[in-house]
Amino acid sequence: MSTALAAPLRRPPSPLRPQGPALPSRAPHIEIVPVRAQRRARPRAVYAGVVVGSLGALMTGQLLLSIAVSDGAYTIDRLQTEQKAQARTVQQLTEDLGRLSSPQFLAQNAEALGMVPNANPVWLRMSDGAVIGAPAPARAGTGVLAAGSLVANDLLAGVPLVTELGTPASGGDAAPGVVTGPQVASQGQPPAPTTR
Amino acid sequence: MTRRTARRRTALSALLLLAVLAVFLVRLVDIQVVHADTLNAQAEGKRSVEQPILGVRGDIYDANGVLLADSVLRYDVVASPRIAVTSKITPEAAAVALAPITGQDPAAIVAAIRGAVAENPDSDFAFLVKGVDAAQYQQIRDVDVPWLYYSARPSRVYPNGAVAGNLVGFVGSENQAQAGVEYSEDACLAATDGSEVYERSADGVRIPGSTLTTTPAVNGNDLVLTIDRDLQWFVQQTLAAYAQKFGAKWATAVVQEVTTGRLLAVADYPTVDPNDVNATASTDVSALGSRAFTAPFEPGSTFKTLTAASLLDAGVATPGTGVVAGYRFTTPAGADVNDSHWHADQRLTLTGVLIESSNTGMSQLGLRLSSEQRYGYMRAFGLGADTEVGFGGEESGTLGAGPDWDAQSDLATMFGQGLTTTAVQVASIYQTLGNGGVRLPVTLVEGCRLPDGTLTDLPPTEGTRVVSPEAARATVDMLENVATKGWLATQISIDGYRIATKTGTAQQPDGQGGYTDSYLVSLAGLAPADAPRFVVTVSLADPVNMNSSGATAPIFHDVMAHLLTAYSVVPSGSGSPELATTY
Repeated sequence: MSTALAAPLRRPPSPLRPQGPALPSRAPHIEIVPVRAQRRARPRAVYAGVVVGSLGALMTGQLLLSIAVSDGAYTIDRLQTEQKAQARTVQQLTEDLGRLSSPQFLAQNAEALGMVPNANPVWLRMSDGAVIGAPAPARAGTGVLAAGSLVANDLLAGVPLVTELGTPASGGDAAPGVVTGPQVASQGQPPAPTTR
Repeated sequence: MTRRTARRRTALSALLLLAVLAVFLVRLVDIQVVHADTLNAQAEGKRSVEQPILGVRGDIYDANGVLLADSVLRYDVVASPRIAVTSKITPEAAAVALAPITGQDPAAIVAAIRGAVAENPDSDFAFLVKGVDAAQYQQIRDVDVPWLYYSARPSRVYPNGAVAGNLVGFVGSENQAQAGVEYSEDACLAATDGSEVYERSADGVRIPGSTLTTTPAVNGNDLVLTIDRDLQWFVQQTLAAYAQKFGAKWATAVVQEVTTGRLLAVADYPTVDPNDVNATASTDVSALGSRAFTAPFEPGSTFKTLTAASLLDAGVATPGTGVVAGYRFTTPAGADVNDSHWHADQRLTLTGVLIESSNTGMSQLGLRLSSEQRYGYMRAFGLGADTEVGFGGEESGTLGAGPDWDAQSDLATMFGQGLTTTAVQVASIYQTLGNGGVRLPVTLVEGCRLPDGTLTDLPPTEGTRVVSPEAARATVDMLENVATKGWLATQISIDGYRIATKTGTAQQPDGQGGYTDSYLVSLAGLAPADAPRFVVTVSLADPVNMNSSGATAPIFHDVMAHLLTAYSVVPSGSGSPELATTY
């Protein structure tokens, strides 16, 4: 503001108040009124620009935020879908592990590989070296599975024993057909299970 | 226009205006206040979806933390026939791709979809396949058929199949508990589904921050059993092999820990495979549970152990008390008891009576106790009442009219006829004697495990004294003599260990007061007898190929030998006490 405006001015005659004797109770009211030129010279466009600009910025900001939030929603949705797929993979692998580690299956595999339990325990007493019991070798076909596996497990239907797996020449995999679950599902197509 | 007409017009207009305003006001109140909830719900229903949050049923574990029952998701695949018939991917094309995955006939798939449309052109629902597992589900998804939709539902798998299937039980198609501990411990295992409502966009993505109401799902807690899975398998496999060999209709074997009362294995033959219940349900409904709990039988001579222990505890007999045991024994009251084979009079001690399994000898000695006293001992040993396990469908057995038995039953109940017990109750009798006369509660469930790892619903552990330590020890001593001098001695002996056993061969009642030709043969025993750790009881119902307790000997031997080695029990290092059998 120019210093000229700060200079005291005479009170102009009020257009609103009819000319007449001044009221004795009122103190004279004096205010600065810019002249028309001065008024026009004020930078109103700047204010308007600032306001409009701010509004624009706000709206743009809100738009961007809104885009970011919805983008986040899609990311969450995608990740949740992926998490579900991973959970399915975990479930499938857990199920496979469960059935493969069932005692029927382990015992059948052990027997197929030539391991036979000996139902005739023999002990060596450390104090005097005495042998308690009559050692007798366990013979093939005499183990607990001599009559075949008699404890059913529907989950093992069609799961081959280790000795029944294909030779490496045919497939290249060390143990095709045992592990049935899909690999990490997010990385492409899961392999088709070979055992049900 | 006069002033009056003008005024009248103004009044009319004002009136009309007010009337219209009133209509609007009424409608506003109607919408905003009266029907607000309904309309809000309708509006939400257009863009919001309600989704159940599935609660997960608790798992079941054995004593070593091995998973016995697992909760999994299975998927139902549903087709929208209305859309399918107009889709670029025709039902025929989809069926060819889907059939190899689901194992269905492609024609059946097409027929289901075309049939549904023929019946109702607006049909939006036709099951393609129910209950596929995760791998199949993924493959079906990968085929990418636009008119298929999917719903997950909780299901159950039992990784070990029939191993402990008799105890674990199973659930129905809607995951509802039906048998075994799945049923009896459902309060621990059951989950509660929750639900959430949220708004979603046209492409099905959840609108951020739009979740309206959420009821969280409550997962079930895990159940821990006292069973040892590997032992359970061994006992089941051994039992099944011999039960088939001897042609038994059914069989049970119970392994109980003497010092804790915990059941380590309860094997039944046949056993249900909870993964395939129908296979058993169609052949043998009783095998859906555990006959060791649910099938009481007249125990026969294994019960003489209880009578002998009662006599010793009451102080009316010692292991050396003599009796002249003839082939036949009658009382003035009209009871008539005879032994299984004819023999001349024998001068037997109580030990000898057990070894020879003499009914006449046991009857004479048993009369030294009143009926009330013997009944009191039976009840104290846990007979005539359910065990603490509370297994689904458990039977308590019956002690007949006891203690007011008729003259015949009064003698018969001394050697295990005229009353019934379950295999688990018999095991509990031997557990009591092995544990110095203190009966411990039979335990199958270790507890219900909360997510933070604490066990709740702990079973009772407080024992009750049934007979004195001296009486219990003396009874075990006598049973050791039965094991070493009885007719099965060579078959049941395990080098290095002292064993105490008693056999039983009991004719089974026909349900009309008489007895049938079929026998239930059994054997109950303790090892190592010097410091008993395990009870093993074996029962075979009607083993047509070997109708004597000899059929139980190899099962007892194999199971006990396995137990002693698997649990690294130190050999006894002493011999069985030598007791006089005759006088």
